[in-house]
Amino acid sequence: MDLYLPIAEVSVNAPLLVALGALVGFISGLFGIGGGFLMTPVLVLMGIPPAVAVASMANHVAASSTSSVISYTRKRAVDFRLGGVLAGGGVVGAIVGVELFRWLRLLGQADLVVALSYLVFLGVIGGLMLVESLQSILRRRSGQPPKPRKERRPPWLYGLPLKMRFPRSRLYISVIPPVLLGVFVGVLSAVMGVGGGFILVPAMIYILRMPAGVVVGTSLFQIIITTSLTGVLQAGRNQTVDIVLATLLLVGGVLGAQLGAKASSRFRAEELRALLALIVLLVGLRMGLGLFFTPDEPFVLMTGMG
Amino acid sequence: MALEIPSPTAPQLTASPAAVSAALTTTEVRVTSSFRGAHIVLYGAVFDPTTKPSDVVVIVRGPEHPIRIARKTKVGGLWVNSRPVVFRGAPGFYMTASTRPLQDIAGFGTLRRLGAGIDHLAINAPFEQRTETRYGVRDVVVSRLGGDYLDWRRAVIRLKENAGLYDADDKGVTFVDKDLFKAEIDLPTKAPIGTYQAEIILFQDGQPVSRKVRTLTVEKAGIERTLYLFAHHSPWLYGLVSMALALGAGWAASLVFRRN
Repeated sequence: MDLYLPIAEVSVNAPLLVALGALVGFISGLFGIGGGFLMTPVLVLMGIPPAVAVASMANHVAASSTSSVISYTRKRAVDFRLGGVLAGGGVVGAIVGVELFRWLRLLGQADLVVALSYLVFLGVIGGLMLVESLQSILRRRSGQPPKPRKERRPPWLYGLPLKMRFPRSRLYISVIPPVLLGVFVGVLSAVMGVGGGFILVPAMIYILRMPAGVVVGTSLFQIIITTSLTGVLQAGRNQTVDIVLATLLLVGGVLGAQLGAKASSRFRAEELRALLALIVLLVGLRMGLGLFFTPDEPFVLMTGMG
Repeated sequence: MALEIPSPTAPQLTASPAAVSAALTTTEVRVTSSFRGAHIVLYGAVFDPTTKPSDVVVIVRGPEHPIRIARKTKVGGLWVNSRPVVFRGAPGFYMTASTRPLQDIAGFGTLRRLGAGIDHLAINAPFEQRTETRYGVRDVVVSRLGGDYLDWRRAVIRLKENAGLYDADDKGVTFVDKDLFKAEIDLPTKAPIGTYQAEIILFQDGQPVSRKVRTLTVEKAGIERTLYLFAHHSPWLYGLVSMALALGAGWAASLVFRRN
């Protein structure tokens, strides 16, 4: 059943999109991430204009994150205080990001920046995560005890001013690192059409040294706030949110997310991380490597801007 | 009923008793949620008391839309878009259908004057190279005198042809009876919204002798139109509503699954 999308102005196969939403939702529930990094490239490959894909993804990510965050709240696994500080930065980042994306699109460089961001961020994060998870898998297979986590916290986290207490995360740190992290992720969410969980989660563990139990819930909470704002801003400033596209995706997405969350308890954490790392790495390479090959068609029409 | 539109560039017709007439099977294409392009048939008749051989050319032009195009160039090992170049006056849709290849029907000058054929499409590039600022960004407007102007022009046409928006069919007009002819117009899903003009020209001895213009509108209809207008007329409210829907769906899903 084909459906003509009113904003994207292309005809798409509706059941296929719902299935795609469910698959990405499942992956997102399984790994506790938004899944935007996977969905946006697939939509672009399907022929949806990149600007519409990036903007409509914000709605999808917000929906699936809401559905997961509620279950994390019940388990008291969300640090609302730290999430709020991150989101404060995220709001600034989203506003900057939407304007940046608008400007890049007018310059004709949006594709380049999107592809490079995917290559750099997904490549680096995927690579690091793959090495780390393979090491812990090998260590467990050979019967060694898990590597003790470095408890020494970086001094700059404590030396900075504006300290604040975050009881649920058992942290007493400066608000500057989480605010900056929030800004950065907010910009990425607008430019790459992602929630930013794949950057936020490792950064919260390795930079902010948050306890693992509250990381995923807190990152999803911050993602809801940032992507809600991004979605409204993209619609208001760029008129690129396709409500039909977003609805098709999120119908499958919210269901898939719940199933994924249930399935996640069946796997070991490091095996899940290795799998996620592989997916992240592949998507990053797929999006970015095109920049290095001689294009078949040296000219491109810039669409979506009158 | 089709409307007769007096065109400012109406060609000088050679005096002849022959005349052409035509009608479209559809004059209004409605873009609804099931839109997958449209197929329109044009029927026409040639009235000619003499028995001179006649040729019919049908030219369909979609609404004009400035085209922004960039060329990929290699910068430090990466393929990067150049600054966009703007072409004005290019129709968003253009097709010709004729009984024979256009160059066999009329001479270069005649075709150029009528804008008949993709090679004669009046894509207006200004004579001087300059930059203009739109939306706070500087666009290069390519010069018609520049050395690589033809490369750019060919690229515009190639990309539009690949998208199914430009087409030339030199067997597209077929005579179904002695004086009755038929042409088919295929609008792809990507066909722009707006008013289209179908120009039907009768040629005899390489000269246009009779010309008719029919119009065709492509417009969004039903829910597509409502959503499109909503998104463009009150974008902020649209953004809020679609985000509220998304958050509501997420919340509803978690409720449903909690019960299970």
